[in-house]
Amino acid sequence: MENLQHQFNRYFVDNGATEWWLTGLKTTLLVTVIALCIGVVLGLLIALIRSTHEQTGKLKLLNIVARVYLTIIRGTPSMIQILFFYSVIFATINLNNIVIGGIAFGINSGAYVAEIFRSGIMSVDKGQTEAGRSLGLNSAQTMRLIIIPQAFKNVLPALINEMIVLLKETAIIGYIGTIDITKAATLVQSRTYDALVPLLSAAIFYLILVMILTYFMGKLERRLRKSDH
Amino acid sequence: MTTNEKVLIKVENLQKSFEDNKVLDGISTEIRQGEVVAVIGPSGSGKSTFLRSLNRLEIPTGGKIYFEGVDITAPETDIDHVRQKIGMVFQQFNLFPHKTVKENILLAPVTLKLMTPEEAEKKAMELLTRVGLPDKADAYPGSLSGGQKQRIAIARALAMNPDVMLFDEPTSALDPEMVGEVLEIMKELAESGMTMVVVTHEMGFAREVATRVVFINEGNIQEENTPQEFFANPQHPRLREFLSKVL
Repeated sequence: MENLQHQFNRYFVDNGATEWWLTGLKTTLLVTVIALCIGVVLGLLIALIRSTHEQTGKLKLLNIVARVYLTIIRGTPSMIQILFFYSVIFATINLNNIVIGGIAFGINSGAYVAEIFRSGIMSVDKGQTEAGRSLGLNSAQTMRLIIIPQAFKNVLPALINEMIVLLKETAIIGYIGTIDITKAATLVQSRTYDALVPLLSAAIFYLILVMILTYFMGKLERRLRKSDH
Repeated sequence: MTTNEKVLIKVENLQKSFEDNKVLDGISTEIRQGEVVAVIGPSGSGKSTFLRSLNRLEIPTGGKIYFEGVDITAPETDIDHVRQKIGMVFQQFNLFPHKTVKENILLAPVTLKLMTPEEAEKKAMELLTRVGLPDKADAYPGSLSGGQKQRIAIARALAMNPDVMLFDEPTSALDPEMVGEVLEIMKELAESGMTMVVVTHEMGFAREVATRVVFINEGNIQEENTPQEFFANPQHPRLREFLSKVL
């Protein structure tokens, strides 16, 4: 029993281990939340630009910008993107590393979210748009009140998946000098000369976070399904 | 009987092509207040395209359409505003599945600030009673039968207090046993004086309810007449052939 207590202290208490783990959890959560917010807003915006262009031929210039953005983000490793944001774009700006990470991951995630939303918008029957427009709603009102709510419901599983991927992807943020869960694990590992327990602990922390996220998203999904009979 | 009424819709030499395919080839006609015009014709004749041009769901490639004197084919026309006065009912109902029946009806009048939520709510319940479905106010469309959906779709269009109602094959997607309930609502609507343009395959409806029947074939109006004359005395050989097949 005493030995177990000793072991626990070794990995989670001694030499500031508690603070590393707590800081790590906080960082992972914060970066994920900031990135999620940026990603969803940016993704929706890009999806609207893309589908408006596809349907009406308008917004030509914005559509080109959106496509360049999608190509670059999806065509390069997120690791390079993070380092680029940290060492080039924000190199001379005094900004918290967590914020930099959140922005970088948000811009990264936005590209994937955009394609998810776009497929959702395309999946809504065009009769829905016609019904909205024939009632005198303009295209923005039709999009906001009729198309997007249905599209959102259709893509929720894919969106949840993207959120999970994002949460786990933040594990590379240690590379810009931030202590997240993964970094905390490696710090504990270097102090204790043991890899198994810290890495296993980090894995469990991620797993728990993903399970919490999945739980709440599942609840949301069930609530949105109430109109299905 | 309606020839002295005011012209609601005036169509002049309406043309529509999809790339090389000419669907409408110079249609001209007038729809007067209180008329119930049944539009019939073989599939692919352009009758749906004609109807959908009347509220610019299809953008004509030539010709003019005036609604209450306003040229709706002109790009500067505020089509959203014009559409508030033109109700439309679709073959596939197109109810909003994420909204309850009542919300479907309320959505446009409240969003467009034509009614307060309280007024719209009252109007919605009146309309639901009119189409015989007041108990479905809080149901979602997914739980309704096809006939019920179409009756709700009619109520939704009526909530905007339109001056004319367009029906695009409103009973074609219904099980045969549900056609009657929808036609009954449409008949009552016609009797209340609503101006209606109805693309339909229901010859009984055209004969009994319409004040004028229009035969569209190969992108043009080949014959139009009162229902009595239209069915008793068809002139155009293509119409005779068509009627011999559908009657």
